[in-house]
Amino acid sequence: MIRWFLRGLSRSRVTTRYPRGEEPPPAGFRARALLDAEAVGPSDAAALAATCLPGALTVTGTGSLRLDGSRCIGCGLCLDVAEGRAVTLDPGYETATRSRERLLAGDGAREADVEAATLTGPFRRSLHIRHVDTGSDGAVEQEIAALLNPYYDMQRLGLFFTATPRHADVLLVTGPVTRPMEAPLRRTYEAMPEPRVVVAAGTDACSGGIWTGPEVLGGVDRVLAVDVYIPGDPPSPIALLHGLLLAAGRVREASAPIVGDGPMVPGAGIGDAA
Amino acid sequence: MIASHERAVAAGELGAELERLGGRLMMLFVAGNSTPGSHDLRAIARSDDGVIVLRARVYGSAYPAVTPRVPAAHWFEREIHDLVAIVPEDHPRLEPLVRHPADQGEVRLPEEQEDMPLEHRGAERLAGPGVFVIPYGPVRSGVLETAQFLVQTGGEDVAYCAQRLFFKRRGAERRICEAPPELAVLVAERVCGTSSVAHALAFSHAVESLGATEVPPRAQAIRRVLAEIERLYNHVEVTVRECEDASLSVAQAQFAVLKERLHRLAGSLVGNRYLRGAVVPGGTRIDLDTSAVDLIGATLVDWEREWRVVLSVLLRTDSFLDRLVSTGPLAQQDARDFACVGPVARGSGIDVDTRRDLPYDGYPPFEVASHSDGDAMARMEVRFQEVDASLELIREAIASLAQGPIRTLPRPFTRDSGLGASESARGETLYWLEAGGERTISFCKLRAASFVNFGVFNRVFDAQVLTDFSFIEHSLGLSPAGCDA
Repeated sequence: MIRWFLRGLSRSRVTTRYPRGEEPPPAGFRARALLDAEAVGPSDAAALAATCLPGALTVTGTGSLRLDGSRCIGCGLCLDVAEGRAVTLDPGYETATRSRERLLAGDGAREADVEAATLTGPFRRSLHIRHVDTGSDGAVEQEIAALLNPYYDMQRLGLFFTATPRHADVLLVTGPVTRPMEAPLRRTYEAMPEPRVVVAAGTDACSGGIWTGPEVLGGVDRVLAVDVYIPGDPPSPIALLHGLLLAAGRVREASAPIVGDGPMVPGAGIGDAA
Repeated sequence: MIASHERAVAAGELGAELERLGGRLMMLFVAGNSTPGSHDLRAIARSDDGVIVLRARVYGSAYPAVTPRVPAAHWFEREIHDLVAIVPEDHPRLEPLVRHPADQGEVRLPEEQEDMPLEHRGAERLAGPGVFVIPYGPVRSGVLETAQFLVQTGGEDVAYCAQRLFFKRRGAERRICEAPPELAVLVAERVCGTSSVAHALAFSHAVESLGATEVPPRAQAIRRVLAEIERLYNHVEVTVRECEDASLSVAQAQFAVLKERLHRLAGSLVGNRYLRGAVVPGGTRIDLDTSAVDLIGATLVDWEREWRVVLSVLLRTDSFLDRLVSTGPLAQQDARDFACVGPVARGSGIDVDTRRDLPYDGYPPFEVASHSDGDAMARMEVRFQEVDASLELIREAIASLAQGPIRTLPRPFTRDSGLGASESARGETLYWLEAGGERTISFCKLRAASFVNFGVFNRVFDAQVLTDFSFIEHSLGLSPAGCDA
């Protein structure tokens, strides 16, 4: 045991300063798509929609292109279409929003010009989190577990996992909600004391993602009212931190997925983020 | 491309024929292009002569079950019964497997639930005062994937443990058929999200086999690099979990740092921390330029040095070894009977590795790690050896990066069906595809390694105690997402 003790002491600190400092993603990281609706011609729109497996890019009734960021898996296949105009991929880790409307761009997007908001919910500081897997691909769980590793160390921010829903403030749901998991999801939610917040983690939890069949209900909000959406396939640990801090009312939500809207200020803190 | 020979047998002879072949059953399913009024069974087995595909036509709604002769067929036949509604007669236990009963997620007591098969029981079920069932799942403590385990115990000894899965079934096989192959590979990547490369490879191999597409050498080398990086972070993940179970916080943190570094490398190389969007039918979508090669080299030199130090301390930590040695033993006979794959099989002395047995993407000869003890420690030892092998394979692949294209467009399908395989960190991953046209897939059957390895979950609790449950579970390295598909 002394060996581990010395080993632990001998390592230098690796923990990120996020949300107080920036945590830059690697160049080319495919966190989410941004739409430049003006650069899309009508023929491009159809081609772009045809290359989008989860249906994040769709052609609306008026023939214009629409991006639903809650469905985007960041595969990047759309970059090969229409000479790479129209859609770009944003490496920014912070993707969480309070509503699905906020994740829309193009025709039908309403809240695009609304200022980034935060959750004015019941929580301000520490959160206890209960996770439920409703059919994820298994990677999101590992990204959530990574929040405990020395790089992210979420406990420094007052975030804790709890084994029982009775102690939980936040229900962190992964997966598109398969039919057998609908009842366990509801029961876990009902076992939580009020006030409580529901966070959908991952593109499939936000919208169903690529899963469209009768096996899935198509997103957590088909079952429960969702307070925070964290799209991403899987969402990176920083994206998860951003979403959880949003649930605690400690940061602002992500910008709308529109080219030129400008990246949000990292961890644009509200009050004290420590 | 996997060389296989195909043979037709009578449905009544299928079990006897598989028993006579004496090999390992890889898949058993009802094919998509059955003629009306009948169902075409396909049994794919690996024998000394290579891969054999047996075709058997079932007229009517029943056929003699294979399971009594070939135990490895037990889940396959229950799946067939659930999905196609034909009856494997004399199957020892024909309760729903992938279909969930109306009481979704409800916990049922052993007396009234069907998960107590006589033939798969590790020990006789106990009865009497003080014996009770701990229903563990589907929502489990900690951040874990959904599965349910019904642990029967008198207090400390595990008398019997029944596994219930398929809470997470998302319909991947049908979803794959709904999209053109170049998009369907994205579905394959998300069947088991921590084995995205292995699933994308197995799927792509099947597509490439349908159209006899050749993958350029450069793409093959890139595929090997990505597949081995994926193996590394999965093996480290299992180590992290075992350290967590043993309450070795520093060790857990140190291995978690090693795992995180690999995900950061993946994010820099591919733009996704789980290496998604890289492998496509016909090659790869990303190239490894000189700066990427340098990054891999520099990262792994550092990584390997760190890994060796931390691992050597771990292997001298008695409180870790004490929990793993002789824990969760899987008998070699069970591993063989139930056709286990991956580190689970190799830890019990079954020498199988798809990379060597059904070579793909230019894998050079390498020594397959194997261990005969069959306990949790043996499975970990296999993984530790495989980390060394993976590092060597990555170095070799980088050295052999030839100039040239990274992708050829998949050719129109000329064959009716194709089998694709790869070795994920969990073991053999299989995709069987049938062509519905020159560029469309009409039927897909996939089998993740966890589908077969979960089948022996109730056989490793012989004389085990409750407190070892998580050690045993994590040593098997199972993925409910892959199993459920």
